[in-house]
Amino acid sequence: MRYLYALILYAFLAAPVYAVQVAYAVHSTEIKLLPFSDAKTVANLDEKAKVNILLRQGGWVKINSKNGNGWVRMLSVRSDSTAGKRGDTGLISLLNAGRSGSSGITTTTGIRGLSEEDLKNAKPNPLEFEKLEKHAVNKAGAEKFARDAELKSRQFDYLPANDNH
Amino acid sequence: MFKRALLFSGFCLLFSLPAQAFDFDFKKALDIAKNVQQAHKDVDEPEEIEIGHGIAANLLGASPLLADDRVQEYVNQVGRWVSLHTERPDLPWQFGVLASTDINAFATPGGTIFITQGLLSRLESESELAGVLAHEMVHVLRKHHLAALKKAARMDIAAELANGVLKDKANSAGLNKAIKAGTEVYARGLDKDDEFEADRMGIVIATRAGYDPYGLPAVLQILESINAKDSALALMFKTHPSPQDRLGLLESEMGNQFDGYSAPPLADRRFDSEIIRHE
Repeated sequence: MRYLYALILYAFLAAPVYAVQVAYAVHSTEIKLLPFSDAKTVANLDEKAKVNILLRQGGWVKINSKNGNGWVRMLSVRSDSTAGKRGDTGLISLLNAGRSGSSGITTTTGIRGLSEEDLKNAKPNPLEFEKLEKHAVNKAGAEKFARDAELKSRQFDYLPANDNH
Repeated sequence: MFKRALLFSGFCLLFSLPAQAFDFDFKKALDIAKNVQQAHKDVDEPEEIEIGHGIAANLLGASPLLADDRVQEYVNQVGRWVSLHTERPDLPWQFGVLASTDINAFATPGGTIFITQGLLSRLESESELAGVLAHEMVHVLRKHHLAALKKAARMDIAAELANGVLKDKANSAGLNKAIKAGTEVYARGLDKDDEFEADRMGIVIATRAGYDPYGLPAVLQILESINAKDSALALMFKTHPSPQDRLGLLESEMGNQFDGYSAPPLADRRFDSEIIRHE
């Protein structure tokens, strides 16, 4: 009996960490063997084709589809929110490769407080503002925080505006 | 003081003109000097910060802070680090998590930035948080709210802003009017182009700070996947272009330029322990 429990527990733990998520191609795009633009093209994904997303890596997602399996650019697929009946899930886990679920700060209880009316009628809360100022971090603290996670500054120029919208 | 400096520089200009220009129309020159002065009659930085703090206090009146010092400190650390990669690293940047189930984030002039608990709880990495905060920072850098305030404000407030009346400490009524009008901007939202600009510049700022450039797009895909009828998104969707439009623009703007930029795994693991620990 104990073995049976162990077996069940093992099966549970060995289950895939992330569920497959459904999305749709916003336009036709090449399915690549690897998540690089110069990787070998495996197949062509049709516009509006349904895909199962297995994981994300940077700007790429690994997919299965009727056209083939491989990697496509993350922004070439979109979740279909109208088809989903769920209110608050969707692409959350698929877009975070290797994650087991969303964070646990409770959202089911608590106050809303930020409707249009609330904002129009808002009165200042100086006590909360004092708390806000107390939590501010100085430059040296921020730099230490970055070093702790090996975050390094990089050069990157702003992009030109796209005027076609 | 500023006026005097301008006048002085006007005189300098006058005497540095070449000789043949000395028969110029004096009145016309004065008009030009006036226009130059007008163009510089912008809200200065201390005023910007004061208005922003007033608006922040109002937003805190609508929703208090999440009572969790560790989460507040963590979000401040991420935000302050990202802010060092902007053109205004020396503003008094401060960050707060609002105890609201609404899904939204706000920036007030001068560098105060809020994210709601409702949005934070849906994020899954430090890069996503950095992307949201960087988007908000652009509203501060580009003074989007001040522009919206000036555009929408009643003439008297606009005139007071233009005349620098707010600098006069005795005129707190003028400041209060500006803050009240400023808070109302958050109920209406900014121009769509301001939001697109905040996306476009925000991804670059997050990338400069060492984060995954796709953090912000990932958040937009999360928003896209949430049922549009979810009331937690009502204000966000009313005041922003659709996630579909924002993602479409980002796709064409980003292209493959961000390939190869990723975040160190330690940062994302840290997000788990700081935020997901609540499970």
